[in-house]
Amino acid sequence: MKTNSMAKAAILMAGALLVLSACGSGNENGNSKPSDSPSVAAGSSEAAPTESAKESAGTDGKKIKMRVITITTDENRNNIMDKYIKPKIAEALPNLEVEFEPGGGGEDMANKLKTLNASEDMPDVFWNDAGYFTPLKSTGSIMDLTPYISQDGFLSKYAVPDALKHVDGKIYSLASGADTYFTPLIFYHKDMFEQAGVQVPKTFDELLQVSKTLKGKGMVPAVTPGKDGWGPKLFLLQQMIQIGDPQAMSDLVGNKTDFDNPSVQEGAARIEKLVKEGVFPDGIANLDYGPAMEMFTSKKAAMLMMFTWELPNLAKDETVDFFPFPAASDKYDPTKNVQFWGSPLNGYAVSGKTKHPEEAVKLAEFLAMADALYFETTGAPIALQTGNPPADKSPLMQKFVDWYNPIPNKIASMALNSLDARTSAEMSTQGANLLTGEYAAADFNKAMNKLWSENTWFKN
Amino acid sequence: MNKYFSTKLSIFVFTAPALLLFTVFCVYPLLPEIWMSLHDHDGFRNLGFVGLDNYREVLSTPSFWTAHKNTYLIVGISLLLGLPLSMMLSLFMDVQTPRLRRFFKTAAMFPAILSVTVVAQIWLAFYEPNWGLFNSILHSIGLSDWTHSWLTEKKTVMPSIGLSFLWQYIGLNAILFYTGIKTIPKDYYEAALLDGASFVQVCLKITIPLLQNVIKYVLILSTLGSMAFYSHVRVMTAGGPGDTSRTVIYQMYYTAFDTSQFGKGTAIAVIFIIQCLVISFIIQRFVARGKLEF
Repeated sequence: MKTNSMAKAAILMAGALLVLSACGSGNENGNSKPSDSPSVAAGSSEAAPTESAKESAGTDGKKIKMRVITITTDENRNNIMDKYIKPKIAEALPNLEVEFEPGGGGEDMANKLKTLNASEDMPDVFWNDAGYFTPLKSTGSIMDLTPYISQDGFLSKYAVPDALKHVDGKIYSLASGADTYFTPLIFYHKDMFEQAGVQVPKTFDELLQVSKTLKGKGMVPAVTPGKDGWGPKLFLLQQMIQIGDPQAMSDLVGNKTDFDNPSVQEGAARIEKLVKEGVFPDGIANLDYGPAMEMFTSKKAAMLMMFTWELPNLAKDETVDFFPFPAASDKYDPTKNVQFWGSPLNGYAVSGKTKHPEEAVKLAEFLAMADALYFETTGAPIALQTGNPPADKSPLMQKFVDWYNPIPNKIASMALNSLDARTSAEMSTQGANLLTGEYAAADFNKAMNKLWSENTWFKN
Repeated sequence: MNKYFSTKLSIFVFTAPALLLFTVFCVYPLLPEIWMSLHDHDGFRNLGFVGLDNYREVLSTPSFWTAHKNTYLIVGISLLLGLPLSMMLSLFMDVQTPRLRRFFKTAAMFPAILSVTVVAQIWLAFYEPNWGLFNSILHSIGLSDWTHSWLTEKKTVMPSIGLSFLWQYIGLNAILFYTGIKTIPKDYYEAALLDGASFVQVCLKITIPLLQNVIKYVLILSTLGSMAFYSHVRVMTAGGPGDTSRTVIYQMYYTAFDTSQFGKGTAIAVIFIIQCLVISFIIQRFVARGKLEF
């Protein structure tokens, strides 16, 4: 009896182990490191199928499976996916079976990729961002695309190929180049301004006065996404500093100054003032991107502080116009200084551990081209040449380009070019605090200065 | 046959698979976690042994204590407000007609089967400060001074999130209590009725004492469930504004993933696990220890 029991126990244990081993992670993509240079010449990845794509299809007729994670937070992204990627990918890349996973955006996207990286389950192609590039690079999870895109000629499609290079001289991401033209502006409804009898403000004080008048007429003066400190981190603090002293902002982005600088400190004080003067609606610190957009497009709010990636959508409403952030001192001139979003790190990247590097690069090229084809139709300027004649620009887009292009001092975004992961996250926290109106700018500056001194971005 | 099944070896054989799974998936992961909490780790690279520095730094961070205050506030709301309400709801259901009882059971279970995201979105709409339900009602009945920006003011944010949590799970606990009530023999109630006991007396002298095992189960479930409170916060406020509505689990996630300080994040996790073990032990040790037979 005892022997029987022992035997049964052993069988049960073995069964349990079998179950466990079956549950273990099996990485279908494999972790083989791709070669540094492509072995198959690759062609264009535009909407038409390519010879090389056909050639690289499995000899057994089976399609190569690829996983893509990309940002899925705004209408532009949804349009690109629905109109340019999904309908055309089977024709353009017939050898691939692509599974798209929604990545969300911001910290959600960053955390998702960091988690996948830690668990060695990176997708073949993903949207890269400066905010999470460093850990991906340090673990070999992002591939240098230079040899691939040089050989297949995709690099030559860029108006300024050098703009794709990271500081180490390598190319990690492919984008349409439209993000160079993304800058924060104040969009407004002309009819709401007329109704309230106010003019476009030229100074920060006028902005406060206009907001007061709009509020007095029962309108919400301005909105911007405030949840998790989105607005303050990505542009509001930078705008509030540079409208007082653009040089101080440039210095901060380049780590030549810190939050002890009076001009920098005044930036936070201006945000506090905007909140306390009632420029934003109650609850701005918890207002998400979608609801903020909805408040403006449904004309509950007269102004929207937002990047120009929303311009093509907002331009559909003829009552919408824009103006740059108004000056808070004589040092700032909106025709001479502007914040730009672009970073060579933002765009479609390929996992350094993909089993099919050449196909993955083709896929990244296709996705970047889809972005370009979409933004091209909106009239937005792009750096990736599609071969199509330039599309007609909407009057609002034309107005934007006419204002933006001649500006001599384009200041890089602090959020993309100056913050390590911790400083970035803590700045979100501090920025959201500032939007509550219960947190003094002095406290913000004190906390930020400590964080800034511990920021490792410039030490890498 | 009974003799065969009651041997120690048989017991071992039948529990071994579960024990093995528990060890592999619950106990074993703790070991690398403890190891990581003693190192400077960014989630990808071990940057060196730091001893107890992570624990010292975590314990000296104000956000850590804010998170604890919030977590135990939720535990308090859940236990001191939620459990009595659930009990009352179950007693109320017990005295209803079968048809009404069916309705109340369905209504009570409904929020619990909804996804947290759905519940959080519903309550987000209620709390919207400019045209949300709560402030609109307060305005309409002339109590405009009582309106708040519920999810951005320090004083109101945690109770507001706690209320949504309470609403979602109060019915589930009520069903558990109700199920326990149904196991109590009817004879006890009939005897009490003959003795002229009131409804309140019956509840206090018969129902609640005989429900002690169910109460213990619900207590453990509610306490640990509240301590692991995360999803509502994630959707409703993302822990904000600032760190105002972070719970311990949220603070752990934020520290590890958002700031890439996995060493400190796991230190928070280890501290949290110890707290959960201590609380479980206290409940097991002091609540409903007597064996109940009826």
